Amino acid sequence: MSRSRPALSPAVWFLLPWAVIYAAFFVFPFVFSFVLGFLDYNPLNVAQTRFVGFAHVARLVHDPAFGEALRNTLLFVLGTVPVTTTLSLALAWLLRGPVPMKDLFKAAMFLPSILSIVVIALLFKLVYAPGGAANQALALAGIPGHGWLTDPRTALPAIMVMDVWAAVGYYALVFHAAFTSIPEPLYEAAELEGAGAWATFRHVTFPLLKPAIGFVLVINTIRSFQVFVEVLVMTQGGPLGSTNTLVLYLYETAFRRLDYGYASVIAYAVFILSAVFSVLAMRRLRAPAGGGMTA
Amino acid sequence: MTRIARWAALLLILAMMTYPLAWMIAVSLRTADGVSLRYYGEVWRAGPFDRYFVNSVVVAAVVLVGNIIFCTMAAYAFARYRIRGGKLFFMLVLSTIMLPKQVILVPLYILMQRMGLIDSYAALTLPFLVDPFNIFLIRQYLTSLPTDCEEAARMDGAGEATILFRVVFPMLKPVLAVVAIHTCLTNWNSFLFPFILTNSASMRTLPVGLALLSQGAHSIDWGHLMAGAVISALPVVAAFLVFQRRIIGGLTAGMSR
Repeated sequence: MSRSRPALSPAVWFLLPWAVIYAAFFVFPFVFSFVLGFLDYNPLNVAQTRFVGFAHVARLVHDPAFGEALRNTLLFVLGTVPVTTTLSLALAWLLRGPVPMKDLFKAAMFLPSILSIVVIALLFKLVYAPGGAANQALALAGIPGHGWLTDPRTALPAIMVMDVWAAVGYYALVFHAAFTSIPEPLYEAAELEGAGAWATFRHVTFPLLKPAIGFVLVINTIRSFQVFVEVLVMTQGGPLGSTNTLVLYLYETAFRRLDYGYASVIAYAVFILSAVFSVLAMRRLRAPAGGGMTA
Repeated sequence: MTRIARWAALLLILAMMTYPLAWMIAVSLRTADGVSLRYYGEVWRAGPFDRYFVNSVVVAAVVLVGNIIFCTMAAYAFARYRIRGGKLFFMLVLSTIMLPKQVILVPLYILMQRMGLIDSYAALTLPFLVDPFNIFLIRQYLTSLPTDCEEAARMDGAGEATILFRVVFPMLKPVLAVVAIHTCLTNWNSFLFPFILTNSASMRTLPVGLALLSQGAHSIDWGHLMAGAVISALPVVAAFLVFQRRIIGGLTAGMSR
């Protein structure tokens, strides 16, 4: 207390626990990952680690397995994100205003987001099983069953359908929260102008919803690029590599083949791709300036 | 669209969202000798889901306490003190929230291995004790609070730590509830990192144990698998049913702002 040295600002003490943990378990691994990308690092023989420059990057470009994983992941992202966003907007639209049993509908839509992806993946593995719900529903319509996860043509689409089921409710409720912040007089004005439902949505709701749509597009794009657990639990990348994704390939490269350096380059590829696609999604949203309501 | 049609559409969605879950529960209860909890008992003891359950609870509790204390401290420092370059630094930290976590997967594994922490509670909790998103939430809330009480306490000669934990902390209840929900949910359901950072049955959490049960010999043993899935999901579903409004509100409202 009575030292001549000025006391360290209390702010430093308050920041210290967080800063230490964050530096040790986030900043350091993040930087280390970048460095690893230029090394040939074998965990069983660390002394033999050598610098290989851009060799891993060059290998990435010509790696057919990476190409396959990239293609599947892009298909997954481009096939699910727009569908999920559109459907969740529609669901939020259904929920607007006074609706009987609204809390029940909201709870049902939110339910998948509190479940572990492992639980959801197992659930849908059962749905798609030979005697599962999907085939039983088809049987009602007289259509013969199908091995959804064992046919290379349907395995990835089946997982995409599951992803939409699991994600759509959460985003619908994000949009619902954004809807309720739109002032009612705007709708009254639109009605006075004689605007129909679509015109009202197009010129009143949509422009005011743009920040929420942007948020949903970005987080859903980033999340979808990381698709992994679903594939690991349901198909393990098969059949015939049709559900091999970037993060599954990253996992196998690192923890099955112990090729840590190459795995780090794949990790950075996932990072860069999801960043680029998020920016593209935001751009596309801003480009067609819908109504005149945008700030 | 008429009101009736809109409601009918919502009913259809309700059915689509709940049908797979009802199916899961039905399969877990239907045994060779009628409806029973047999699969639950077997998976609980032999799974060993009792151990996974304890691990999940311990890990979630430690991570929750860490986040509540450390994130509040950091948020308070960012919100109330003039730190040179603090704002820029904070923005930089925030920008890492969106980063795909896989980028640090391999280096974190190497780090834990070098520290001899693989397959320990330390590996399952230490890296997750602070989440920048929680700091962001608490800081946002703090900036909307008046500083009168803090000033008054300072006048009375209270130390900075006393002010934070005795005066400010109780006022943070609403935002800490959101932090708690977000932290518990994320942690309880987390798969990738616990999967990589553990390698023995005694250290697995529920999602990891469940995923590994579904591989290999039990891959189409649906009764046991679904019983395990229900055990994993039950605590969060129960909490959700009790705190539904708060959970939905906390995790959706204002997310896009």
